[in-house]
Amino acid sequence: MWPLKWKQREQQYRQERADFFAAVKRLDRRAFLKVAGMAAAVTTAKTVLPPHSFQLVDVVRASEDEKPLFQFAYISDTHLYERRLNERFVKAAMRAVEDVNALDPQPDFVLFGGDLAQLGQPQELELGKQILSELKAPVKMMVGEHDWFLDMGEKWQELFGPPNYSFDHKGIHFIVLMSVNEKDFWTARNMTPMERMKTVAGLDNPIQSRFEVGPEGREWLRRDLANVSPETPIIVFSHSPLYKYYRPWNFWTEDAEAVQEILFPYRSVTVIHGHTHQLLTNRIRNIHFHGMLSTAWPWPYAPEGLPKLTVQMDRADPFDEADGTGDGTVDVYGSGYVDKHYNLWSRNPITVAKAYLESWGKEARPPAPQFPSY
Amino acid sequence: MVMLVMGLIALLGTSSGRSPGSLSWPAWAAGQAKEFQMTFPLGIPADLWELMIPEDNPMTEAKVALGKALYFDTRLSADNTVSCATCHDPRRAFTDGKPVSEGVGGKKGARNAPTILNAMFNEEQFWDGRAKTLEDQAKQPLVNPVEMAMPSHEAVVAKLKQIPEYVKRFREVFGGTDPITIDHIVQAIAAFERTQLSGDAPFDRFIAGDEKAISAAAKRGWELFKGKARCITCHEFNPSSPFFTDFKYHNIGVGMKATKNFETLARRVQQLAERGELTAAELDKLSLAEGFSELGRFLVTRQPKDVGAFKTPPLRDVALTGPYMHDGSMKTLREVIEFYNKGGEPNPNLDGGIIELHLTEQEMNDLEAFLRTLTSTYARALARGEITIAPGK
Amino acid sequence: MRIRHVKLIIMGAFIIGWCGLWPLSSDSAAPGSWLNVVTDIIPLAAAQQRPPSQHPQPQSEDGHLVVQLCDGRTQMEIADVREGEVLPPEKARLVARRLMARYAQQQAKQASKWTRRDRLIWQREQKRLVEEGRRLFHDWKAIGGTIGISCDMCHPDAANTHPETYPKFQTQLKRVAALRDMINWCIENPVKGKPLALDDPRMLALEAYITYQRRGVPLDPGKH
Repeated sequence: MWPLKWKQREQQYRQERADFFAAVKRLDRRAFLKVAGMAAAVTTAKTVLPPHSFQLVDVVRASEDEKPLFQFAYISDTHLYERRLNERFVKAAMRAVEDVNALDPQPDFVLFGGDLAQLGQPQELELGKQILSELKAPVKMMVGEHDWFLDMGEKWQELFGPPNYSFDHKGIHFIVLMSVNEKDFWTARNMTPMERMKTVAGLDNPIQSRFEVGPEGREWLRRDLANVSPETPIIVFSHSPLYKYYRPWNFWTEDAEAVQEILFPYRSVTVIHGHTHQLLTNRIRNIHFHGMLSTAWPWPYAPEGLPKLTVQMDRADPFDEADGTGDGTVDVYGSGYVDKHYNLWSRNPITVAKAYLESWGKEARPPAPQFPSY
Repeated sequence: MVMLVMGLIALLGTSSGRSPGSLSWPAWAAGQAKEFQMTFPLGIPADLWELMIPEDNPMTEAKVALGKALYFDTRLSADNTVSCATCHDPRRAFTDGKPVSEGVGGKKGARNAPTILNAMFNEEQFWDGRAKTLEDQAKQPLVNPVEMAMPSHEAVVAKLKQIPEYVKRFREVFGGTDPITIDHIVQAIAAFERTQLSGDAPFDRFIAGDEKAISAAAKRGWELFKGKARCITCHEFNPSSPFFTDFKYHNIGVGMKATKNFETLARRVQQLAERGELTAAELDKLSLAEGFSELGRFLVTRQPKDVGAFKTPPLRDVALTGPYMHDGSMKTLREVIEFYNKGGEPNPNLDGGIIELHLTEQEMNDLEAFLRTLTSTYARALARGEITIAPGK
Repeated sequence: MRIRHVKLIIMGAFIIGWCGLWPLSSDSAAPGSWLNVVTDIIPLAAAQQRPPSQHPQPQSEDGHLVVQLCDGRTQMEIADVREGEVLPPEKARLVARRLMARYAQQQAKQASKWTRRDRLIWQREQKRLVEEGRRLFHDWKAIGGTIGISCDMCHPDAANTHPETYPKFQTQLKRVAALRDMINWCIENPVKGKPLALDDPRMLALEAYITYQRRGVPLDPGKH
């Protein structure tokens, strides 16, 4: 149905990339301890560069007895325009697909974290579906506000199905929760669908409402969990963070407390969310929260409300269009808690380990930024 | 004074990588030896030069002269055919004019010989930065089988000890009962290399205020260099760092077409590192081995983002240092400019700053005109045979 | 004690009108939200909703009664009345008159030509330019973009622009640059448009919006 011409042009080098990254990533994990030791020696000898503590994280992780149960990968916030308008975001999304396809062994599935399209247009969503269809592993789709507010989810649901669903995988109960509903701000203002879409797409546009799971979504969640034992580990995928970080940019879910109340009774809950385009870490009681990178561009950290457990990523260098963007993987342990790997395309990868959140930040601290936001 | 120097290093964000506290001034160096008097070409700041002289290798006249003798001496190679100057020939702005260098018996490496002019200012040496200092750098070609091919550093030392002239001169310079050591050999060579500076190009005179020093086309090229063509971001130029490099590593795609087999190559590098076998000597061999060479900075850091990344080369004397790129794969400046204009070579790890430039024919001509204003008076005179520095000539 | 409270209430009634006008000359909006622009530029409505201000009561070293106006500054020590004693009504009226006279004297302005109307004009023009800058900041077509990328996509609320740190060394340009150089760098590179002329009204508007968003932040040129 969709012409594959655009793919052929880049096919050759992309195949090489796939082969290569498969190798490098595999090697990285296995070889880590010894390599880390050597690298530490090298960096100590260099007076300019601080020793890269990314290696230290992996040392801590490797010292644990527990092995991950399985791995899934994620791609998020591709914000696709049509290719003829903006090729940069299309290429970035393809790069993420190639990255994930190069993982060996393949992840059990790939989470797509929402905001596939920039303005929810059918051509954008279909282009996104085409790109993601290249993934070898099964894809779990999540919706973002950029996909939704042009036609209130009609096209997205036609392509990908209902926005709320759950599944069980290797003893973990996974929930994909639509968290970017907004109260009607458009009818009274007599907005066209595109005006509504562009209002929501503007992160700092104060006219729009705040994100919420909403009463219906919460009811759906309650019903879904009705037959799940409190001992079953739960992993929730939501587009917005299921806590309150910064209201003006909708780094926020208005009914977050009510949603958390539903999740508190469970032994272990992990929330993986998109929308914030940055390395982001939080923990509220039994719930661990992890943000995802965008493939398109990084957001700055908000001026206030940053969760204490978050170690910021460096401010991106805009000269390098790939800086601050990327994709990643998640290692899931039997407890349901995870090691979250941020595969930053222009920097060394960063891991936010399970141990870091379990110890409330005392152990396995990720490397500190040289240039935090201000 | 030492404190001041280290403070300035921190201030400028540059470093020669030495650690404070390793300072040892031999008595002969502090008192007796005659300090080397450097003359600085226009555009090269004397204070930066002083900062970059290692504390444990002060510049003396006798040492520089000894280093020069060693630099041109083919006896440092296994079959007495190759000297430093073979690949870093003063008559070609201290390069060899070949795509990749040739060592003893015509054996080929995999990297293009970079100039030693201003090399002392580099943050790290070699295209992949595997040596921190000029001293570290000088040790490696001596024993690389495709370069000077001596069996070991001990063999180099033993060979020089057979030459009475060197025994005498090393004693004069370094003192002690056993002055010929591998460390002293490379210290002398590095000291000589630190006297080889490039500056006083027409462009330097233009920057100094002489509007007529360069052509209108070159001036337009300079504006492009700073703006639309996006050159200056990596080929940094300002009075604090007038070297046309950021001393960092970037993948622009050169050579990514030639080698298909990154997966296997990277795995082997990683395995060596895992087993603790990736020694400096082994790294040096890999960096000149076909295929492995294309891994670039990855050989040193083993970080995926560094695959195919190479050090930004300085651009001074660039009109004389072709062919270009780490593998010498581009013959002309025009070829290089066209390569950047199309956004480099697409590859898995292309630097995010390398994008299509949409330069016109005229603009590419102007850029080339600008690059040709970076030739130093010194390198030009050497190239034309107006002066010569090789001993005995 | 009881009496003093009575007096203060009486005096409060006299001068509450002035209290309500003060915010006209003060910039009370906190930096951050765009919404602040509205309250800041049109301050009267917002100011009238504000609760009356509270000030600490001054104490006399000699234990005399001290009476203070609700501006929190104008005060008078009554030498022959002890703290806690009753102030006779006539004396209280005298004290109130003197305090109000002193207040009026302190409030007198120099006879400059600028009126309150002038200041409103200045504020409105500023607001107009800031709003135009905000519009351009959110509209890639208006600044000549070609690939759908607008300023706000990387800089919501002009975050991470740091106008207070310019001029400073910029790694893209490898030199010390002004804010407008970087506005143009962004227009030319990520936005993929043509740089604006430095006297382009759009440049001024963008500068107005970006700097307005960081108003009140101390200058720190060169900070990275």
